[in-house]
This record gives sequence, structure tokens and C-alpha cells, in this order.
Amino acid sequence: MKNSCSSVSTLLEKYFDQEVTEEERFLVEGHLQDCPGCRDALSSMEELRTLIKAPVEEVVGKEDFPWVWQKIEREIRLEKKRTWWSSLRSWLAATPLFRRKVWIPAVATLVVLLLITAQVILKKTPSSQGVSVVEYLESPAYNVMVYQPEEPNVTVIWLFEGPEEEQRTT
Amino acid sequence: MKRTVFLLTALFFFSFFSFSAASAQVQVRIRVILASNVGQAIDPSLNDVHKELGSLFNFTSYRLLRDEPMNLVPNRTVTVQGRRPGRFMEVTLIGLHRDNAQLRMKVIREGVDLLNTQVRLSPGRTVLIGGPRYGEGVVLFAVSSRF
Amino acid sequence: MISRCQQGDQEALREIFDKYHKKVYRIAYGVVRQREEALDVVQEVFIKLFRSVKDFKGRSHFYTYLYRMAMNTAIDHRRKAGKQFISSLDEEGSFEPSDEAEKGPERILLQKELEEKVKLAMDKLPDEQKAALIFRDVEGLSYQEMAEAMGCSIGTVMSRLHYGRKRMQESLKDYIKLHGKGRGASTVSEG
Repeated sequence: MKNSCSSVSTLLEKYFDQEVTEEERFLVEGHLQDCPGCRDALSSMEELRTLIKAPVEEVVGKEDFPWVWQKIEREIRLEKKRTWWSSLRSWLAATPLFRRKVWIPAVATLVVLLLITAQVILKKTPSSQGVSVVEYLESPAYNVMVYQPEEPNVTVIWLFEGPEEEQRTT
Repeated sequence: MKRTVFLLTALFFFSFFSFSAASAQVQVRIRVILASNVGQAIDPSLNDVHKELGSLFNFTSYRLLRDEPMNLVPNRTVTVQGRRPGRFMEVTLIGLHRDNAQLRMKVIREGVDLLNTQVRLSPGRTVLIGGPRYGEGVVLFAVSSRF
Repeated sequence: MISRCQQGDQEALREIFDKYHKKVYRIAYGVVRQREEALDVVQEVFIKLFRSVKDFKGRSHFYTYLYRMAMNTAIDHRRKAGKQFISSLDEEGSFEPSDEAEKGPERILLQKELEEKVKLAMDKLPDEQKAALIFRDVEGLSYQEMAEAMGCSIGTVMSRLHYGRKRMQESLKDYIKLHGKGRGASTVSEG
């Protein structure tokens, strides 16, 4: 029984969330018939889900969302500005020189030239060799230090645990 | 008609340049190391980084806990399990450029992100994430790439 | 509908609002557990959506993108309002559960006390675990959908659910036992 419990306990939550395969479901349901401990554990999960979900469902069922859309609409209207693109479009539409049959081929030619030029520029500009760049870093729990010496070829990201974490983990 | 030609031309050039990125992958090696001041042993499989570790830290002992070489493809996350349940590291290849790979790495303990970072890693360069305590020492994740 | 919204079509936003506002409210209420605050969150989410939807590249499903926005907005709201919530609980005073739980008013008050305890326990959870519980137990997302909404792997989703549930059960263990004694056979859990 103990061995079955230890192998089924890792599947119990998946079973509860209905994310098990057919084979796993068969294994768990077979075990549950004979194991009150695992049945209790499953009941606890159901109970917890009810505690979390029931108040939400009750409130959502009664809610009629008074004036929510109207407030959203008003907020958008207040902050709505003409984007530079819509300004450009209206200007382009007004100018005969920028009719489609003129500017589409012009833009296409420009794009091709830019792509060819970019290749030349990129070749001439060597990118940094052997450097790791930390582009983004976030740690809600720890203070973090980044250290990047020239030599050796290592970038260090160090997490400083607080004294509570030290006591918890040692 | 002209607009169709323009769009097709742009599409041809962009697909040409994006093709190599789409089919790319990068080899990454992740080593999980326990650094401590208990004893004076250096795991023989860490000889290649012993000098670097010695110059950065004052620990007397380095033990290799896990060594995971893997091929990363863009936007697919791989997981390296820690020593204890609920502790692991996730690595995702975000982008591959001519001379560096963009990796997003997370260190997770019991469902909480201890660290969420994004780095550009060049071949031959190692990123070392350290600090979480384990037993008498600290855990280091050494991530290096080759492509 | 989404591409029209990306081009600034407010009618398209209205269609998106009609389709998703209840789901966003469920997520918001699951986090903040206060009606007025949850309605504010819903309003803020759709305004943010209108501003930022042009950045949606379609790499994930639209609804997971929206759910992530809803969750982050609700958590930010909760963080700012956290202290106010605790002081309002103090103002109401502590409640001593009566032995005569069958009486109507006391039963209602017991229920209220339980809801307050659930709110407090949820507030203590790390954001990632809180989000996992709400996506799964309130919204009923699959592990795959949760991974998309939370920007992590399925393994991380399972880990967050496991440790979130463990913490909640620990915080509410006395209440779960009491509550369980008063109930009949529990219903089969839904997906």
C-alpha cells in the first residue's frame, strides 16, 4: 500500500485537475478504491477549490457591470489622439504626388536598397566578441549583483539570500 | 497589382533573411555545482573551469551535481532539475544572432521565481548564477554555449 | 475582431468586452475579493488592452494574452490596496464562531469569516502561486493554457499549483476540517 501511495501521490494532483492520461487515470482510480488516505487528500483539494471558487461564482452571477463599458469608452475618448500614422495617411491621401502607383514602387525600391546597404554596414561593424550582456534581470526575493570581469570569460549573477532564507534552507 | 508585387518583394527578402534564424539551434551546457568550504576536493570534471572558479570565489571545494548538455531551439523551454523537489532552472532560447545567443533563464523554488534574467551569451563565455544555499554550501549554475 | 481592434476600432473593443468581461472579472475578483476593486480592474484591463493590443503578435492565443494582463493588473491593484484591506478587517473586529452553527445569522457570519480567512491566505501567497490557483481553480484553464498565460513551462505550472495548494491547506486546515464536517458528499471536481 505504501509503495502504491508514493507512486500515486505524484499523480493525484494531475488526476484532480483532469490532466492525466487514460493509463494514469486507471492507476489512480484503482488505488483510490483501497486507500482512504489518498481519498482524504483528494477531498481536501476539492474542499479548497470550493473555498476559493464558490465566493467568486456567487459574486459573478449577481454582477450586472453597471456603467463599466461606458467608463471605458469615456476614458478612451479622453485620451484618444491622432497617431502620427493616421496624420501621415491623411496627408498622403491629400497629396497627388503620393498616389499608390507612385509611392508603392518607390518604397519597394527603397526597401531593397536599405537591405543591401544594411548587409554592408553590418559587415563593417564588428559586434562585441566574447561578451555576455545581461539584458534583463528580476528577482522579487533576493538582492542581486552582476559582475562581469574582462578575465576570466565569465559573467556572474549572484543572489544574496536574507537571514530568514539562510535559516530556512540550511 | 502593384501593391501585390510590393508585398511579394518584401516578403521574399524578409523570408530569405529569417530562414537561417528559424532553423537554428544552439548547443548549451548547464552544470550545477555545489561550492562549499567543506573539504578541499575539486571534481575532476570541473577542471576546465577550476581556474575561473578559483579566481572568482574563495570556496575550497567544488562538486559537480549535474551536467546537462542540450540543444536549444527557439522558444522551447528546457528544465534542469535541482537536488530537491520543487527546485529547478528553466532555459529558453529567445534569439540566435551571428555571434551570440539570447537566453532567458529562470531559477525557481517551490513555484516562486527566485531569478528571471535574459542574457546574450557568446561562444566560449559562461554565465554563472549562484547564491542559493544548499546544505553547507551554495549552488552555482554554470551556463555556456557553442554554436 | 482582434485585428480591427489593433487598428483602433472601438466597436471591435466592445465586441471583445462583451465576450470576455465576465472572465476578466472572475480573475480580478479571485485576486482582490472586493466588488468595487474588481470592477476597477476590469475597466483598467480593457483600457490597457486598447492601448497595447497592437503589440499582440498572435504568438499565443488572444485569451491567454488577455488573462495575463488581467492577472497582472489585479495583482498590482491588490498590492497597492493590501494595507487598506487588513485595516478594514480590524475595523470589523474578530468574530467568535458560535456553537449553534445551525442558526441562520450565525451560519452566514461563519461563512463570512471563512471568506475573510481565504482572502487573507490568498494575499499571503507569492504572486505566481496565487495566479496559478486562480487560473486553475477559478477559471478552469488547462495546464497548457496556464503555461501560455503565465509565460512558463507546464512543469512550473504544476509546481506553482502544488506549493500554492499546500500553503493554502496549511493556512486553512482548521477551517477545511470544520467546513467538511458540515457538508454532505462532495461533488466531483470539474475540469
